[in-house]
Amino acid sequence: MNPELIDQLSGQLGPNGLPYTIPIHPNLVHLTLGLFIVAIAFDVVGVLFPLERPVFKLLAIPAARSNFFDVGWYNMLASAIVTFFTVAAGFYEIMLAQPAATGASAWGLEAMETMLWHGVGGVVLLAMIVGMTVWRGFQRFAWRKDRAQQVQWSYLIVGLLIFGIMFIHGTLGAQLAAEFGVHNTADMLLQEGQDPNALLR
Amino acid sequence: MSDFLPPLNEHNLPYPDTIHPIVVHFVIAMVLFAFLCDVIGYYTRNSRLYEVSWWNLFFATISIFIAVIFGQVEAGLAEPYAAAERTLNVHTLIGWSLSGIIAAITGWRYILRSRDPKQLPVSFLVIGALLSVLVFYQVYLGDKLVWVYGLHTVPVVDAIKDGVL
Repeated sequence: MNPELIDQLSGQLGPNGLPYTIPIHPNLVHLTLGLFIVAIAFDVVGVLFPLERPVFKLLAIPAARSNFFDVGWYNMLASAIVTFFTVAAGFYEIMLAQPAATGASAWGLEAMETMLWHGVGGVVLLAMIVGMTVWRGFQRFAWRKDRAQQVQWSYLIVGLLIFGIMFIHGTLGAQLAAEFGVHNTADMLLQEGQDPNALLR
Repeated sequence: MSDFLPPLNEHNLPYPDTIHPIVVHFVIAMVLFAFLCDVIGYYTRNSRLYEVSWWNLFFATISIFIAVIFGQVEAGLAEPYAAAERTLNVHTLIGWSLSGIIAAITGWRYILRSRDPKQLPVSFLVIGALLSVLVFYQVYLGDKLVWVYGLHTVPVVDAIKDGVL
């Protein structure tokens, strides 16, 4: 974003370029990723249940197959709801980002390219998570309502592919934080030639 | 010691990026979602959500030990400057404590579930609320280490290497 436009808010922004000290987006990311990955993981556990039955028995943990599919559904639903807020917070914070215009990430991308890919990727992932939730809902409530195995293999495979996209996308986000220092108080103070050790005590 | 590790990169890590903040997804999200499911399950009398809660807690319990291991490795390589030290110490202390606390709460839940999976005492909801508060505080401290003090970020690691910090 044009620095002069960001200056319109300058009275409200702290040394990290935000009106608050801790960015919100990376915290909502914990919820999006944790819920999505565990949803797929428990559907896999549900599908492979016949193999696991002796293990749960050995550990004396009562386990019913349908409960694993419940986790797969509710966690996916929660991930879809949370991710609207994750993306909204992400766009708010990316519009206020002012990374240094020099240097490239470990993947050879400069700050602007990294921000653009991370922004577009966020919307794509939101669409995928919502799509997966709808797909999961059809399996649960219509197509496979009376089946012991509630999910299709194709759903799980697409889920695993999305893990891959999440890894790439998450690494771009991590590079914005830990390489370009976006919204990072100590990094931005150092960029201005100030001493975080003295100012952050 | 350094002979056994790959060379450290510009994040002062033997691998590309910090791993601890990734593993903690599975503690933060699962503990908070388990509590949410318990609350909704309690007020809607939907005992199916108690099972969802239990399995999320189960997953959180495994994850926190992995989170502590990576947290300890990355704390050891963080080279915190004086201003960041106190926060890192408190975060470490609460992190280790949480591994015991979450394991104990999951153990209690295992017993409650073995007795009657369709009932949940209010006392468990209270403990779940307290645990959620503690997790929030721990997340706040971890956020401070990354977003305020910038540990393991390239500019801070550079500044430490150059003796500026």
